[in-house]
Amino acid sequence: MKIFQVALGILAAIGGFVDIGDLVFNVSAGATFGYQLLWVVVIGVVGITVYSEMCGRVAAVSGKAVFDAVRERVGFKAGLGALVSSQVVNLMTLTAEIGGVAICLQLLSGLPYRWLIVLAGAALVVVVWVTAFEWIERIFGYGGLCLLVFAVAAVKLHPPWGAVGHGFVPHMHTQSPLLYAYFAVGLLGAAMTPYEVYFYSSGGVEERWGPKDLGLNKVNAIIGYGLGGFLSFALMIVGGALFLGQGVEPEFLGTIALGAEVPLGQIGLLLALVGILFAVSGAAIDTLFSGAYNLAQFLGWEWGRYRHPRGAPRFTVTWLVLLVLALGVVLTGVDPVQLTEYAVIFSAVALPLTYIPILLVANDRTYMREYTNGRIANVLGVLYLVVIMVIALTAIPLMILTNVGQN
Amino acid sequence: MTRYIAACLLAVFLAGCNGGTVDRHALKRDAEKVGSLATEGGLLAHDVSSGASTSSFARVHAGELSRAAADLQDALATRPTSPGIEADVRRLAKLAGKVSAALERIHRHPTDRGVAASLRPPLEADARAADRLAK
Repeated sequence: MKIFQVALGILAAIGGFVDIGDLVFNVSAGATFGYQLLWVVVIGVVGITVYSEMCGRVAAVSGKAVFDAVRERVGFKAGLGALVSSQVVNLMTLTAEIGGVAICLQLLSGLPYRWLIVLAGAALVVVVWVTAFEWIERIFGYGGLCLLVFAVAAVKLHPPWGAVGHGFVPHMHTQSPLLYAYFAVGLLGAAMTPYEVYFYSSGGVEERWGPKDLGLNKVNAIIGYGLGGFLSFALMIVGGALFLGQGVEPEFLGTIALGAEVPLGQIGLLLALVGILFAVSGAAIDTLFSGAYNLAQFLGWEWGRYRHPRGAPRFTVTWLVLLVLALGVVLTGVDPVQLTEYAVIFSAVALPLTYIPILLVANDRTYMREYTNGRIANVLGVLYLVVIMVIALTAIPLMILTNVGQN
Repeated sequence: MTRYIAACLLAVFLAGCNGGTVDRHALKRDAEKVGSLATEGGLLAHDVSSGASTSSFARVHAGELSRAAADLQDALATRPTSPGIEADVRRLAKLAGKVSAALERIHRHPTDRGVAASLRPPLEADARAADRLAK
């Protein structure tokens, strides 16, 4: 198996799965409910694996990425609703990720935040413009692996492993059931962020996957997102072991890094900050491309990161405009961590708009020939349709009722 | 239907705002926040004093914790309160100011282990005081 192809999955996992949303929600969930919500991460990981595998398979067999399929399957009007909502969520996420990059750079360098926002934007343009995509995969994918320091920190904090194990069994010991439900929805929304699937399936089309790559698609989805899930467990365990007992409410990215500093000292802090920097930078690139992919695919433009910018000018202009818009919003002083919470909740609301068309296409023989969903894929696909509908319908009411998790 | 949903959202929003008055629930939440900031400040002070942090991280993170505590102080010092809790609210405002000032010192002296070591016990005491107000 080509190791560089597997790197696509690792990038999607670290840069996509573990993004600022996962960092914020997993550590906060641990700090609020200990290990009780670990089971939700498992559901989220299986969900994103099912969704990505379907999207990758559709891309490999039909050559259509998500928004190609959405427009063809549900038509222009309904598809336009899905596009607009996805783009709004994408922009919110991109803004939060860029803010996260700037905060990380500030925690590492001590330089002024606003200058670092501009520097982060310029660096993203340079990296995307001059770096071959294979190198972007390697740089951010492997740099993000520094986040494994949170797994070491989790072990070093000596959590009660019995309670950790019990966390994988659904249960609820709390006087705040609404807050528990809000965090459950947020964790699912953070794990199943749609932009990573758009990025993944578009990558499959660009790399000209065919039916022979279906095995690779399955391995990418399972290993890539499994690794992301492992890191989510570690983050929640750190939150539970270090912050819950002391009553610390993580409201800053610095607090998350402190979770590695306290048990591991300076080296833990530096690895955590570098890991967060690479993970949020990778996620910023994913969201940037996802926004451009979505629009270009929906409107039938030339698109692709492997093309020279002049070979797909409207695609290039789209990601540049998205970047400028996101930079403009970050420069207003909006708090990236708070924005992340809104982005995750709204992405949960928008999720069915692209999930349902993909589920339909994955069962459509005219697109998929003999590669339609099998029985297991369909059982899981329908099960997750129910889960996604429930979180989409409850996300905003829970956000209002809990005052965005402040109870 | 749209108007009905908008009215519901507005009602929930206004209920959440509670007209800007600090009631018992808001006092508890804000005391927990002050306690959280003080505890985190204590952890940071411990790491700075033992050389486990970096100067950039200590300076930046202490600065943002200090600002958050100062914002709470400003809000708690001026907002109207429900009857019977005004003294506790103003006490919490002072405590938030104290926490903010301690964190500001770490922000200004991120490499000074002595300063950090001297700030850890008062920050921990402030966290306990905030916990008592939260209860």
